[in-house]
Amino acid sequence: MNGGLVQILDGNTFVVSDSRGDIEASLTDPTGLFSFDSRFLSSWILTVNGQRLNPLSVDDLQYFESRFFLVPGTGTVYVDSKLSVIRRRAVGDGFHEELTILNHDEQPADLKIRIDAASDFADLFEVKDALEKKGKYSTRVRNGSLVLGYERGSYKRQTMISASAPAKLDKKGLTFNVHVEPHASWSTDLDVVTAAGAGGTYDRPKYERGERRAQPNMERSLERWLEDAPRLECDWDSLKATYRRSLIDLAALRFAPPVAGGRSLPAAGLPWFMTMFGRDSIFTSLQALPFTPELAATTIKALGDWQGSRVDDFRDEDPGRILHEMRYGELTAFEERPHSPYYGAVDATPLYVVLLDEYERWTGDRQLVRAFEREARAALSWIDDYADLMGNGYISYQRRNEDTGLENQCWKDSWDSISYRDGRIPGFPRATCELQGYAYDAKKRGARLAREVWKDPAFAKELERQAASLKRRFNRDFWVEDGEYFALALDNEGKQVDALTSNNGHLLWSGIVDKSKAKRVAEHLMGPRLFSGWGVRTLAEGEGRYNPIGYHVGTVWPFDSSFVAWGLRRYGFKAEAATIAAGILDAADFFDGRLPEAFGGYERGVTKYPVQYPTACSPQAWSTGAPLLLLRTMLGLEPQGDHLIVDPALAPNVGLLGLLDIPGRWGRVDAFARGHALQEAHRPSRR
Amino acid sequence: MNATTEFFQELGTRGHEPLLEKATGTIRFELTNGRRKARWLVKVEKGQVTVSHANARADCVTRSDQALFDQVVRGEENAFAAVLRGAITVEGRPDLLVHFQRLFPGPAQ
Repeated sequence: MNGGLVQILDGNTFVVSDSRGDIEASLTDPTGLFSFDSRFLSSWILTVNGQRLNPLSVDDLQYFESRFFLVPGTGTVYVDSKLSVIRRRAVGDGFHEELTILNHDEQPADLKIRIDAASDFADLFEVKDALEKKGKYSTRVRNGSLVLGYERGSYKRQTMISASAPAKLDKKGLTFNVHVEPHASWSTDLDVVTAAGAGGTYDRPKYERGERRAQPNMERSLERWLEDAPRLECDWDSLKATYRRSLIDLAALRFAPPVAGGRSLPAAGLPWFMTMFGRDSIFTSLQALPFTPELAATTIKALGDWQGSRVDDFRDEDPGRILHEMRYGELTAFEERPHSPYYGAVDATPLYVVLLDEYERWTGDRQLVRAFEREARAALSWIDDYADLMGNGYISYQRRNEDTGLENQCWKDSWDSISYRDGRIPGFPRATCELQGYAYDAKKRGARLAREVWKDPAFAKELERQAASLKRRFNRDFWVEDGEYFALALDNEGKQVDALTSNNGHLLWSGIVDKSKAKRVAEHLMGPRLFSGWGVRTLAEGEGRYNPIGYHVGTVWPFDSSFVAWGLRRYGFKAEAATIAAGILDAADFFDGRLPEAFGGYERGVTKYPVQYPTACSPQAWSTGAPLLLLRTMLGLEPQGDHLIVDPALAPNVGLLGLLDIPGRWGRVDAFARGHALQEAHRPSRR
Repeated sequence: MNATTEFFQELGTRGHEPLLEKATGTIRFELTNGRRKARWLVKVEKGQVTVSHANARADCVTRSDQALFDQVVRGEENAFAAVLRGAITVEGRPDLLVHFQRLFPGPAQ
């Protein structure tokens, strides 16, 4: 009965428990109360008269709240209890739990209710890698609270547990001796509060002054979030469900970094990746721009504020570089991991400029673009000054932190993701193709911003000259003549890493592909080696390392396919883009609207359903964003000046599609599409 | 003269610091060396920087050992990791320190 894990979260604070609501963690078992990348509870076990409880049902009320219905006794199939137990738990700063016992008997009940509590204060990285702790633990009962502590030098973390009903506290938990009358009930509130020094904001244990009690306070904010998003009207019920799921999951994935003044950006994934990631936050912000543009604004601000400013090999940091990942846990604090923050990504920096431009095109918020001119210029300079490791005019990567840095600093970051046709793996540095596309796009978009917002036409001209030169060289150096597609990368000798991959679609998106080559590229993307019927495989069938369930070597990533679809649209391949949209959105239906990070690259006709790749991270931000971007590509939404162009090309299974109240520089407008016929209705409506 | 004093004195001569253009506010650095205490007050207004020892209200107060801070301004310690460790504590607006930490050098190459 205890198989499924239950997750609830608020920002980077989350609880993973079993279906009884209990937490029984070991170093390798990922349950617990986590906050700022540390575990604050590793045991939280409820017993009644010494007995564990048996789950009847779990309600996942909201992403931040769940309710467990339980009865005493375990291991029996038949349950006939005179007692029921309800635990209603909500995440706030820590968590808040309402524990209720109902006596259904005609006799009064005398009960010993016990909660055993403990914490190992493991770093999230330790939970994954099972490392030993170096600090000291403490347990105290103080002022009616049980305080669990961990200390390593100046590093201090505490968990404080208290109850509203009278309780006997000891160092291992809380005991309630209660008398419940016939057909009556008993209840208590339990508060678990965390105290950490994350970002320096929680230095004092604020609970001592009763300031921060965990409480469910996010419900209204979710309602407002859903109300503010555009409304979808269509005759495809599963798309409606997928759209709603995406909006709710995106709300759950919001993360307010301690420096962002309470504003949120998309974290990478729930629950293990609830932090700022350059690449994931940018891609998700791009996908969500027509729906929730404020995510992009916060991403631009937070990543800009943390932009690299010095050369630091441990963190793979350079001036102008956009961060890869930020962490707050013990291993980061003691520099056993480089995430304070870690800068080992080479795509995030050009993509930062891409996002800034796309954000302005949608929102018209020139103030932000002016405010981050320095950061955008520094990002553009980084491309030429720090990223050209081989001196051949291309972005490439090779980690300087050989110990704990990332080998592959592009989105396909697993060890075998970059290979030749025959399966060999190239040396370093590696210049993967999509990076060159992003650099091209960054220069083109940077030029537009320079001309129109920063009023620097000379800089604009220079960027355009560089972009044109890059495009010319790229189409010569990366084009695989005998296959007629773009190589995955150039290796450390400047030779082509010649496998056929989905990266070709990102090249279309960035605009770096010569028009004369686009048709062949589109044919590859839609051909049987890459297109599975659901989406585009990361690596083409027939390549040496192809494996339909290989992480980056054959699976379909919904996020990847959504950008491929955007790329196809950019070059006018509307029907092809719609075919990908249909495949991915069909797949979403099999996952109840929640697309996984990746699914198997098996031929659709063979398996009939998408085979999920096993992953611990769901929902994942850019998978959540994929249906949003696919809606944009189907409707052909494109800002032009102060107007929104609607140029729809729908999937064959959609007869009617309407997106109402799309926010942007035009106020709010509606977009409608019908069948294959290109129709549009364009009604400005400010509200 | 210790590294921290050098750092703040030099900062005081810059006038305008482009890396702090989006920051406005006051940071007080309180440094402890045994029983001795040093205090630096940095006032930033859209990149205009003034440095003093004034005992004035600050939007952000950081406290640490003098020796640790010397290492930070020499690029031997990372300021944010030190904050996570609790070796530097921060009260008030952490965003000011995020902007300010850009001024610290990286490790010697």
